[in-house]
Amino acid sequence: MIATAPIDAVMQALSVPTRRAVFERIVRSGEITVVELTRGSGVTQGAISQHLKSLKQAGLVVERPEGRNAYYRARPEGLEPLADWMGHYGAFWRDRFADLRSLLKEIDP
Amino acid sequence: MNAITIDTRDIVVEEVFPHSPEKIWKTLTSGALIGRWLMAQTGFEPVEGKRFTFQTKAGGAWDGIIHCQVLEVIPNERLVYSWAGGHADNVGYGAPLDTVVTWTLSRTANGGTRLRLVHAGFVVPRNTSALETMGGGWKKVVPALGAIAGEQD
Repeated sequence: MIATAPIDAVMQALSVPTRRAVFERIVRSGEITVVELTRGSGVTQGAISQHLKSLKQAGLVVERPEGRNAYYRARPEGLEPLADWMGHYGAFWRDRFADLRSLLKEIDP
Repeated sequence: MNAITIDTRDIVVEEVFPHSPEKIWKTLTSGALIGRWLMAQTGFEPVEGKRFTFQTKAGGAWDGIIHCQVLEVIPNERLVYSWAGGHADNVGYGAPLDTVVTWTLSRTANGGTRLRLVHAGFVVPRNTSALETMGGGWKKVVPALGAIAGEQD
């Protein structure tokens, strides 16, 4: 059911501050309904639902229907594309360290 | 991953070198040597407040210039510079980036150096797609490093 979202989808889903706040709240809550998310959020339930839809499409949250309610919880593994990306940048610096080591060997064997 | 953090992220790389801090410091602060292991730079001097640039591949509205300013210099111990680039019009490669690079050198018991890099201030997710692409581009510029890196593991 849940496709692994490419990094762009994750990035776009989290690029809106309100949506990011919704996601963080879901993470902290464990499991939470739209009504509970709307309470105190300062935005309408319709807006919250739209944010949930985007988060769901990006693979960041999952929905569990129960009776008339739907419960949402975070899918931390949905953030893995970001971790992978950080890994790429980490690789850039590790490569630079390797070059630095080679250079030092060359100028000071 | 254990923790969820989506504000800013740091890259940390730390390695021990057999060379003295003085030798390492020279490679970090000599304009000519920087170009041989990091990237070609223009205007670097190990003087606080000094502005310099690195040139990388241009993309979209961004000219590929990384703007840096030396923030802190403690000879043979610590070097800090800002690392900014990108253009507000770019979403992918070349999106705005405003980060800080910190080098810390500490002498080991046998006269070598523990070198620690912290590249701080990546705003996730704004910079994610940009740097994924940039990382790939840089790896192409400096090929065949995997073997060298592997030897050190």
